[in-house]
Amino acid sequence: MIDKSIIEETAEVLIKVNKVRAIEIVKNFINEGGNPLDLMEEGFIPGINATGDLFGRGKLFLPELIQAADIMKEVTDIINEALAGGSDIKKERGTIVVATVQGDVHDIGKCIVVSLMKANGFTVHDLGRDVATDKIIESALAVNADIIGTCALLTTTMPRQKDLEDALKSEGLKDRIKTVVGGAPVTPRWASRIGADGYAKNAQDGIVKIKEFLGIE
Amino acid sequence: MSKIITRMGDGFSVEMDEQELMQDIEDGVIDAAERAEIPVLSDDEQKHLLEICKSTCTISGVEKGYEVIMTYDGGSNKIGRLGINTGRLQVLQTYERCFGADTTELSDLDYSFKQAKHIVRENVPLMEQAQLLMVAPVFYGSMPNLGLYTQPDGPVLNPAELLPQGKIKEAREAYAEAIEHSVRDMVYVSSALYEAGADGINFDTVGASGDPDFKATLLAVQELKKKYPAMCVEIGMAGEFILGMHGEVTHNDVRLAGLYPHEQVKVAQEAGVDIFGPAINTDPTESIPWNIARAVTFTKACVEAAKIPIHANLGMGVGGLPLCYTPPIDAVSMASKAHLEITRLDGL
Repeated sequence: MIDKSIIEETAEVLIKVNKVRAIEIVKNFINEGGNPLDLMEEGFIPGINATGDLFGRGKLFLPELIQAADIMKEVTDIINEALAGGSDIKKERGTIVVATVQGDVHDIGKCIVVSLMKANGFTVHDLGRDVATDKIIESALAVNADIIGTCALLTTTMPRQKDLEDALKSEGLKDRIKTVVGGAPVTPRWASRIGADGYAKNAQDGIVKIKEFLGIE
Repeated sequence: MSKIITRMGDGFSVEMDEQELMQDIEDGVIDAAERAEIPVLSDDEQKHLLEICKSTCTISGVEKGYEVIMTYDGGSNKIGRLGINTGRLQVLQTYERCFGADTTELSDLDYSFKQAKHIVRENVPLMEQAQLLMVAPVFYGSMPNLGLYTQPDGPVLNPAELLPQGKIKEAREAYAEAIEHSVRDMVYVSSALYEAGADGINFDTVGASGDPDFKATLLAVQELKKKYPAMCVEIGMAGEFILGMHGEVTHNDVRLAGLYPHEQVKVAQEAGVDIFGPAINTDPTESIPWNIARAVTFTKACVEAAKIPIHANLGMGVGGLPLCYTPPIDAVSMASKAHLEITRLDGL
């Protein structure tokens, strides 16, 4: 059981983007014999999730969110190094391919999703915006992705998410790769209608869905 | 308990009983109040909202005498989208004489001040002709659209590429440079159209590129009001809070990032804005009663904070209206009635 004050401080250093103190907390914790994975699970991951929630409410801003994600990356690297047997949090957590669908050039929301995914220790391949369905599938196969996440910000580009589902079905990949759809006009009803495995209301919800699919608590 | 047919935020019909409907209204009110730290609607107001949302009518309306001004943005582009072959002046007349618009707006298909500057001399004679044809005020409207000033669309380094590289200082400098370009274009285009007779200038979808976008608009408004004190300036917002793309932009010592409508309007009126249009985002996964309750709660606080007229944005995906191609009239009129009767705003 980690001391409550340490858990609270890990959230605080992320929200206040205090990288120096974040690294200090991790190193001290490891030097004192604590399990680094516990610190990640109980402290840093809830902390980065809290920063995502604050961003969604207009209480924290993009530069801070990106800096917090950068702190998470550094912290994850230190914890990976410290873990016995060379185990790696990222490798355990799964691989995700993310793209904004073809015809849609919106990028900001997807970048936030990618930042939070990386901060949560997933291996993320961001294909960018305006990405063709064929390229998404090709990239997912190349990196042996567990999940494909697509974003559509326009009612006119939502059908590309259905194209992806149809293509995965016709190529016999539907059971192998899970799909999560998101974007402002996207709803659970749409996800269900097109046959997507999951719907993410926002970046934070996306993390929850991905963890469910990958069996991570 | 009998079922009431209502809608979800994506426009689909759904059946709810009265208790579920009331619960959604209460939840929508609380969501807005918690986010913006504003008062919740009173019990009477929530009960009144329930009565509005229970309506089985195709169209809801207000009693005579409670009508408000209907002001339209981007109007001269919208008829063409329906495949109707007509010119922009005829569209303005259609809005005035068929749709009962109280103000209309001449605008360009490429709805951004940056693009408009290249064709401003084409728009000047059109505005002059519009003024001769129309009785209702004709505004010129466009978007600040700060993103167009960053690479690859413009000369400034792209903050969306700099931020992930950790180049926060450089990203903020890029925003500052983009603001300068944007203000220059907004003042140039607005001046030309105002001198051609425009009754006002509408800055639309303000804040779409976050806090620097809002800042650019406020600076342009200040400059224009100094130049033309009688100019009517309207601004319509892009979303319910100012996205902190920069995070530290201030105006008269007020940090712009994270401002909600009741705070946005104070900054806007201080800069010289005459009409303010809050835009409350619709959540397509929640019901229309939830979305209307939320929009009304935000807008009521905005109306109470304002010293200038409030013309709330009620359109696809904002103001409690469904996020779908053609928002159904039952939801549109229900949201409009709720805004008029509860927030006491001045226009839609």
